Amino acid sequence: MWNTVSKGTAAVERAVKQYLPPCQEQCPINEDIQRTNVLISLLPDDPETAAPAILQIGDYLYDKNPFFSVCGYVCGLCELECNYHAKGGAIKRRLLKRFISDTYIPHLETREEWSLIKHKENVAIVGGGPAGLMAGFDLSRRGYRVTIFEASDRLGGALWLIPRYRLPERVLTSTLEGMVRMVGMDVRLNTRIGQGKWTLEKLRNEGFKAIFIAQGTPTPRTLTFGRNQVEGQDLSGVMYGQTFLYEVSHGNIRPNYFTGKKVLVIGGGNVAFDVARTARRLGGETSIVALECEDKASRDGIPADVEEIRGAWEEGIRIIYSRGVEKIIGESERMKGLVCPRCVRVYDEKGFNPAFDPADTLVLDGDVLIVTVGQGPDWTALQEEGLVDGHGRLAVDPVTLQSRNRKPVFVGGDLRKIGFMVEAMQDGLVAAESIERYLQDRDMTEGRKRVFEVQDIPMRRHYLTEPEVVWIPPEKRMHFQLFERGFTLTEAIEEARRCLACGPCISCKACVSIGLRDSLNPAEVLTDRCCGCGICVSACFYSAIQLKDVDMGRISLTDAFKCKSCGMCVSSCPSGARTLGEDALEAALMTAAAGLQNSPGAVP
Amino acid sequence: MGYEPKLVCFSCKFGWGYLRDLDGPKEASVFLIPVECSGKLDAIHLLKVFKEGADGVLILACEEGHCHFQEGNFRALKMLYLLEEVLWAHGIQKERVRIAFSLDPEGRGIPDRIVQMKNSLAALGPLDRALL
Repeated sequence: MWNTVSKGTAAVERAVKQYLPPCQEQCPINEDIQRTNVLISLLPDDPETAAPAILQIGDYLYDKNPFFSVCGYVCGLCELECNYHAKGGAIKRRLLKRFISDTYIPHLETREEWSLIKHKENVAIVGGGPAGLMAGFDLSRRGYRVTIFEASDRLGGALWLIPRYRLPERVLTSTLEGMVRMVGMDVRLNTRIGQGKWTLEKLRNEGFKAIFIAQGTPTPRTLTFGRNQVEGQDLSGVMYGQTFLYEVSHGNIRPNYFTGKKVLVIGGGNVAFDVARTARRLGGETSIVALECEDKASRDGIPADVEEIRGAWEEGIRIIYSRGVEKIIGESERMKGLVCPRCVRVYDEKGFNPAFDPADTLVLDGDVLIVTVGQGPDWTALQEEGLVDGHGRLAVDPVTLQSRNRKPVFVGGDLRKIGFMVEAMQDGLVAAESIERYLQDRDMTEGRKRVFEVQDIPMRRHYLTEPEVVWIPPEKRMHFQLFERGFTLTEAIEEARRCLACGPCISCKACVSIGLRDSLNPAEVLTDRCCGCGICVSACFYSAIQLKDVDMGRISLTDAFKCKSCGMCVSSCPSGARTLGEDALEAALMTAAAGLQNSPGAVP
Repeated sequence: MGYEPKLVCFSCKFGWGYLRDLDGPKEASVFLIPVECSGKLDAIHLLKVFKEGADGVLILACEEGHCHFQEGNFRALKMLYLLEEVLWAHGIQKERVRIAFSLDPEGRGIPDRIVQMKNSLAALGPLDRALL
């Protein structure tokens, strides 16, 4: 069985400009996707022997992305850009990661803490969500003493709003506890900064040399029609999606809470679908009313993911497209229904500016209305702390995340820009790097913007089709257990084998790390032998070879960043003008030749 | 029989036996050479081992569609078609070279394949090196 080693030659290299496989370029934190895919593809198919190797892959992922176990359930951004997308379906990277996560979580719960020497300054992190935790984790490993101030009674922030049927509670709690424990961060729960006695000034006075603010977006957006607030949002039976999901995750809403009730959910985003599917699981007869139209390809198309829409539809949720809400009908302080005019346009050239057709109006009956039309930061607190500019926007440098108004303060996560979980994590890493540069009085911007080029799909005659993802049938899905089946070991190996490993070796080196290869010498050209015929150009699967005109004539050149040292060009060259430097094959042939000569051949 | 054929076996490191430390077969007449990819093999390499005394060559390549370097296995097959013609032109039986396409991470099937190859080589008799 192989073992991964962390010797120098096996470490992936970072450069200011480099080629990456498209998945890694797409991933905001540039996770080493190809390397871990290749390692999974080389696992033994016996679960017992595979287990230690799976943990090695998990340890490697954890080093750079301690949230990987959660990403494996909820992310999958990388799959959008996979080169395989058009050739049989993207590699199911999210499920591969979930597969590692399932073995890794019990291991993480008992994993021994890292012994880190915390000899650097005190840093305060405001907000214990993905951005804050990621920054805290990274800074702790760099030797800073980190304290996280969290307003609620538990870490995790918006991750708690992800319904249990998509992310099991144990995965989330173990990941969060693991992060705090592994690096030894100080956590203060129920401590809201910017309210009462805790101000940024106070944090500074307490000895925190830098502060990272990642409080997220706790304030739900209210329902508007035209320029006005829709009346009746204070009626009984009206609630906001974020608040609803928060209460559900805290266990404050009993099962069958909505049985016999008609639930109307307003919104067309993924959160609205989470809300609707949760309400459906609580027994409600649920409908989604979305402003956007059904055609996702159009400008006014619904923003929720296809999988969410499919899931909701399967679960019997009615989706009403292209409808706004003009009025909430109330009756003795209870909400009774909605007046929904047809939306004829959502966006115009300038942005969000919906228009309605008053002649076409639909009246919907309902007992519960859950408004899920977005969320925003707590602007009052930000204004009080002087982090907002004259236009009412956050005064923050987008590259360094440093506040323009208060230098020791850094801002990131959803608070800065609402996005995916992994984007908030990226902000956390960026802020951690900025904070170190700031505290060490170094240049804040030098080398920060890295340029990646994406490697194209390699030439190939056979592409394999994607595996089918198995969902529990809808009639058996009305609970908060996972509805998607994960990969078995065999399926994971099979799927990882499908990965084309299209990226270059410099950002992978999976084979070197397990000793399958010793080195990765790019192919060299003996220029006096090369006649520039170009056979090697077509022999290379990775378009790493180009012809170039020089004084002596035309020769071929290898792009060392793209070359995978496979030797196809060497074996195809008719004039022996290409070599792989000190190649193991040549040495092995010499040994075999000596053996053949000495071997008796005929046995008496 | 009294004759033991000498065999060189090239095996792809990404498809065959990567989960075992292959010490190589114990017999002195079999030489196992793991390579990064079967497509890396050149006809020159094969002719060389024949010249040095091998009676046959076995190439263990990846299953179709599973080559780590896209389709090196197919390149190896193409190379073999040409090499067979060259060998035939020299009066050497094509059966002295064989390629197998499969995945065998544990390398369990390697000894069997070697025995089979050796048996068919034994039937052919020693290679007359004067032909090369």
